[in-house]
Amino acid sequence: MTQDLVRMENITKFYGRVQALDNVTFNVKEKEIVGLLGDNGAGKSTLIKVLSGAVPSSSGSIHIRGKKVDINSTTDAIANGIETIYQDSALVTQLSIARNLFLGREPVTGPGILNRMDHAKMNQVAGDLLRRVGITKNIPTTTPISALSGGERQAVAIARAMYFDSDLIILDEPTNNLGVAETRGVLNFVRNARDRGHSCIFIAHNIHHVFQVVDRIVVMRQGTIVADDIDPKKTSVEEVELVITGMSDEELAAATV
Amino acid sequence: MEQQSLARRLIAKPEFGPFVLLLVEIVVFTSINPNFLSPLNISNTLVFTVELGLIALAMTLLMTAGEFDLSVGAVFGFSPVVMWTLFNQGILPLELAFVAALLLAAFIGFISGLFVTRLKIPSFLVTLGMLLVVRGTALFVTDGFPQRTWNAGDQWLATVLVGDLNVGPFRLYMSLFWFILVAVIFWYILSQTKFGNWIQASGGNPGAASARGVNVGRTKLILFMLCSAMAALAGIISSIRTSAANPNSGTGYELEVIAMVVIGGTALMGGRGTIIGTVLGVFILRVMRNGIVLIGVPGLAYNIFIGAIILGMMALHYGLERRHQAGT
Repeated sequence: MTQDLVRMENITKFYGRVQALDNVTFNVKEKEIVGLLGDNGAGKSTLIKVLSGAVPSSSGSIHIRGKKVDINSTTDAIANGIETIYQDSALVTQLSIARNLFLGREPVTGPGILNRMDHAKMNQVAGDLLRRVGITKNIPTTTPISALSGGERQAVAIARAMYFDSDLIILDEPTNNLGVAETRGVLNFVRNARDRGHSCIFIAHNIHHVFQVVDRIVVMRQGTIVADDIDPKKTSVEEVELVITGMSDEELAAATV
Repeated sequence: MEQQSLARRLIAKPEFGPFVLLLVEIVVFTSINPNFLSPLNISNTLVFTVELGLIALAMTLLMTAGEFDLSVGAVFGFSPVVMWTLFNQGILPLELAFVAALLLAAFIGFISGLFVTRLKIPSFLVTLGMLLVVRGTALFVTDGFPQRTWNAGDQWLATVLVGDLNVGPFRLYMSLFWFILVAVIFWYILSQTKFGNWIQASGGNPGAASARGVNVGRTKLILFMLCSAMAALAGIISSIRTSAANPNSGTGYELEVIAMVVIGGTALMGGRGTIIGTVLGVFILRVMRNGIVLIGVPGLAYNIFIGAIILGMMALHYGLERRHQAGT
């Protein structure tokens, strides 16, 4: 099997006295899409926040390609090749596609003191990226994000992660509030990213979306990982649902009555 | 077809509404009183316009980054007092007193910026407090009396800042040149540079911007310092021109400046800013002030018109913004 890209070891997280993560060990391999599932409060968001630098863990360590790293901020995570894409928060809606793609790393041209952005390069690369991520519609790269649909916004965020060589792209509920066609588009973007060598963690409430795209499913319940090697090709949605809720068929039937 | 879409794109620009309004003002005032477009009146209008305009230009950048500064009027009054006191007391030559006043103003902006970016206090509260501190200091050090400035006439600095020259029938001041220069530079910064992209991102979505490595705090801090320094420059220019450094001058300017900026199409909450719009906004308010007096409306009615303009323009800008958000 391929080597671990990211390995989180014995991660524990307390919010005050509430334990959100209990000694969790979690890994993502190279070129792998991992589906992270779990009910509300299972700890998947906290796990992702620790990995993306949004919250510090109480104990435990993170390794990238076998080397221990310190991730204390979102900037640290990005510097280590970990990019997190939240539903809407990752883009500046007033700015154009090209300006968002290069935000923070704008290429400049001409004498340094003029600090002039290389608009031509930005627009050209942005156009290429949109095609690479799988957008077929011809959208000018000067379009502000506010004029894009939810799916197109996800595409821009994924394209940005791909361009800046993020090894691991974390997608938190990327298909929320999206229509059928848009969802299919986003799932395609994720597959394209994997085929180009990026690993992904895919979090979604809709298990069917997860099944369509991931290589491996990890299930969390009450702050621990209860299953970490479910093959979506050999397992049914219903079986995974059981693992998520932790109930037998009879218990589930009793609970839903 | 092409033609139509071009026209439509022009209309959708945030600067279009203010541009039309300015044209309407000029046409209406001129048709009622042809003197409105006389060289003398244009010259007079320009003089004071550009002094407030300098502050409005800097405020545009600050507001695009999502903050604003209510202390600019106080700094406008305070900085000339500092400069002329240092000079009149023989503590510093005029050039150094000028630099010292600008640095002190930048420092005031720096403190406001620290409160906003480090302590996360809204800029409304921070700069309101700063307004009182600065104005209070100006009144305290002067006992409320204006400072002498009349020995400024033979200083080269005064000539460079506000020296007048006659271009044909127009009497223009150097301050107009500075206004144009600053407008061009700020337009360039906001729309063409990496820093400009950071300014817009800091106002539009600070969380996303800092996740991308944009130093949002430092960006805002620089703009607070810039805004305050520009208010100082405007105040000093005004003090030389009127030969008086009055500790009370500039009272209420902060609101007029913010009105100029938002009328031009810059968003109050940040993320979207336009220097061209601000230049138009500056002229809309100053032309209105000059025009209604010229056509015989009592000057006291000025605020009614200004208020109506603000309301009308906001309705327009927010309507455009909503259409923009809807992607049409």
